[in-house]
Amino acid sequence: MRYWSLIFALAAVFSVGAFAYAPFSADWWLPNPAGEPYHSVSTFGREIDALFLIILVLTGAVFIGTQAALVWAQFRYADRIGEDGLPVRPAQYFHGSQRLEVIWTVIPAGILVFLALYQMDTWAKIKFRSASPRTPVLAEVTGRQFQWAMKYPGPDGRLGTPDDLFTVNDLHLVKDQTALIHLKSADVIHSFFLPQMRIKQDAVPGMAIPVWFDCDRAGRFELACAELCGWGHYKMRGDVVVHETEAEFQAWQAAKLAEQGRSQIAGADEPEGDDR
Amino acid sequence: MIVRRCIRLGLGLSILLTTAAGCSDADLTGPIVYEEQPAMSREVEGKAHLAGKPRIQEKARKTLARLYGPSPKEIHVPEGAPLSKDEQGRLGVLLANHVQTAQGPEKLPHAGGYGLYRRHCLHCHGVSGAGDGPTAPFLFPLPRDFRRGLFKFTSTPNGARPERDDLRRTIRDGLHGTSMPAFEALLTKKEIEQVVDYVTFLSLRGETELALIEEGFIADDEDEDALEDDIVDELVQSVFGKWEDAADTVVDPPVPRTPPSPESVARGRELFLGRTKEKLECAGCHGAKGLGDGPSFVDVDVFNRVVFGGDPSKMPERVAKLDEKARELWKQKLDEWGNPLRPANLSRAVYKGGRRPIDLYWRIAKGITGAQMPAHYPGIDHAQIWDLVNFVLALPYQPELLDDAPAPAAAEGVAADAPAVRR
Ligand code: HEC
Ligand code: HEC
Ligand SMILES: [Cu+2]
Repeated sequence: MRYWSLIFALAAVFSVGAFAYAPFSADWWLPNPAGEPYHSVSTFGREIDALFLIILVLTGAVFIGTQAALVWAQFRYADRIGEDGLPVRPAQYFHGSQRLEVIWTVIPAGILVFLALYQMDTWAKIKFRSASPRTPVLAEVTGRQFQWAMKYPGPDGRLGTPDDLFTVNDLHLVKDQTALIHLKSADVIHSFFLPQMRIKQDAVPGMAIPVWFDCDRAGRFELACAELCGWGHYKMRGDVVVHETEAEFQAWQAAKLAEQGRSQIAGADEPEGDDR
Repeated sequence: MIVRRCIRLGLGLSILLTTAAGCSDADLTGPIVYEEQPAMSREVEGKAHLAGKPRIQEKARKTLARLYGPSPKEIHVPEGAPLSKDEQGRLGVLLANHVQTAQGPEKLPHAGGYGLYRRHCLHCHGVSGAGDGPTAPFLFPLPRDFRRGLFKFTSTPNGARPERDDLRRTIRDGLHGTSMPAFEALLTKKEIEQVVDYVTFLSLRGETELALIEEGFIADDEDEDALEDDIVDELVQSVFGKWEDAADTVVDPPVPRTPPSPESVARGRELFLGRTKEKLECAGCHGAKGLGDGPSFVDVDVFNRVVFGGDPSKMPERVAKLDEKARELWKQKLDEWGNPLRPANLSRAVYKGGRRPIDLYWRIAKGITGAQMPAHYPGIDHAQIWDLVNFVLALPYQPELLDDAPAPAAAEGVAADAPAVRR
């Protein structure tokens, strides 16, 4: 019956195959811009991806090793009946091996301690309030069931003044500039998730949580909610637009503010809808 | 022994059958059919109804199915309906994903209004657009019932039908401070056009249904000619006519906005507090500090207790427990659809119908259809409306504007003064 071990071997080969194939497929690999599947757009993204790769390689090596040992043991020690109808090898009973147990406890513990220490710097840069950039706030983002409301400070750079710009599900920032947002929630816990920028932060009612990130490619990215927040959770999708230049961002903001300040229909510069 | 086995077999089979049926689309959502207005078959107090007129009821049902299709899966579009056409001039093709031609069904290159509505809107607004989808009981305010053709946030006069752009704006930007979401990031521009058409379609259908009920109410059940074709035609044309007229009645402020200077804001404040000779009653509804707690409306605590104080389906019981005076006021302060209503809290800078000065101009000048907020033009002139707009926009950032305002008296008969909603 030793060939049963092959089924286990097959499962392991499939898993390792998927693991080896993933980096060669843009769909299976990390969420990155369409044209550049191996380029992580944000500074933190690159650090997080490096950590991710280390962990992937470590767990991959351990997985291959343990699977090989498992299959080998199944194959080698499958029971065999001799010609006399008795097992060729009688069962042996023993109390385990202290040395082995120490080894397979100390090595993973060592790996975990290494990872814990090695990632600390990245964690601190992304999450510690003391590390938050001293730049003006880009926007206040409030999650509510079921959308993201954005409030930009407008030309005067201060939130809570009459020139604030309001948008829904529409976050705009400038390429290569660190964007700082204040994250709030109006009802339940949501999670502000920028997959391409590898940013994920819970929005907690009653708190204004600073979140910062950057992006080195202009274009359109995704915003999603990553905390099941009610029946409409899946609808909490938004657009993230990264502008090439500050001037482009300012032009967008000015156009939006002009619309927000509209006081007459006449002179509507932007034709609305395209089927009329 | 044999009998028992048979029973077991029977049971096993029926369980299998029900689970199989449970997987079907129809069982998950209930059959997708239009619901009727209650007045179609029951007596409704103070309203036209067809109770006790089985023949007229049947005629009304048949007419409705002929005009608009028997179910949402088979849509008919009457000639001349105020809906979009495609490049080939075919009317109403934005509503569906197939069109019936002489050669059989032809697939259209889009999801169609019904498909999109079913996916994005139905769970709140309901199959027939009655605002009674499965999510609706959990919401305040309730989703709009489209069947009367009345919309709150429009650019057209109070009670008039909305302009296409009004519906488009509502769907694209949502209604802030309510559960009506913004669909800009979820639907493309083309899809929004399809959904706008479908909302219009549901309104036309609903209005026609109500018109048929009203017409049937005054007819005799024995009368062979009741609801005959020319009468129906006339009813339908008058429903369509109101939508067609809407575009010509859009209000564009004839005077540009007064710059929001402190003087303009101060003038707006005086108007708001009713200190001018026009004696406006904003504060009576919106409160002396603009918090939406004016004495003309039900007390905020009472309101919250009734609306949010437990099972939504038990609201009538909570209303019944109020004392007589409060109960009377409660009844008067419902909106056109019979739902609880609150004046806006103006200190929060959240405006359902949008924060553009033109949006607020429309709200103040023409009032809010169906929501008791009265039209103020021509009671005050355009410049005064702009002063009020400037004041409303400044208030959230300068709450001290209303620091020393005296408590207003309850405005008697405010609702009576409001221009009656045109149907
Ligand atoms: C989560 C529930 C919900 C969903 C989903 C929803 N709506 Fe609404 N909608 C509302 C509520 C609530 C209101 C009424 C708010 C009020 O009266 O203040 C409303 C109002 C409206 C109005 C009336 C605006 C006016 O001026 O009176 C229109 C039109 C509308 N919705 C269209 C849609 C369309 C089209 C969709 C789908 C694309 C949709 N809604 C999806 C909840 C919803
Ligand atoms: C009879 C009571 C009443 C009076 C008088 C009244 N309002 Fe209102 N107003 C309401 C109600 C009710 C609403 C909320 C409608 C809704 O949410 O559907 C409202 C809403 C509003 C809104 C919010 C619109 C939005 O988009 O959310 C503004 C702004 C407003 N009123 C300003 C005024 C001003 C200014 C005046 C005086 C010129 C005034 N109102 C007079 C009852 C009133
Ligand atoms: Cu959420």
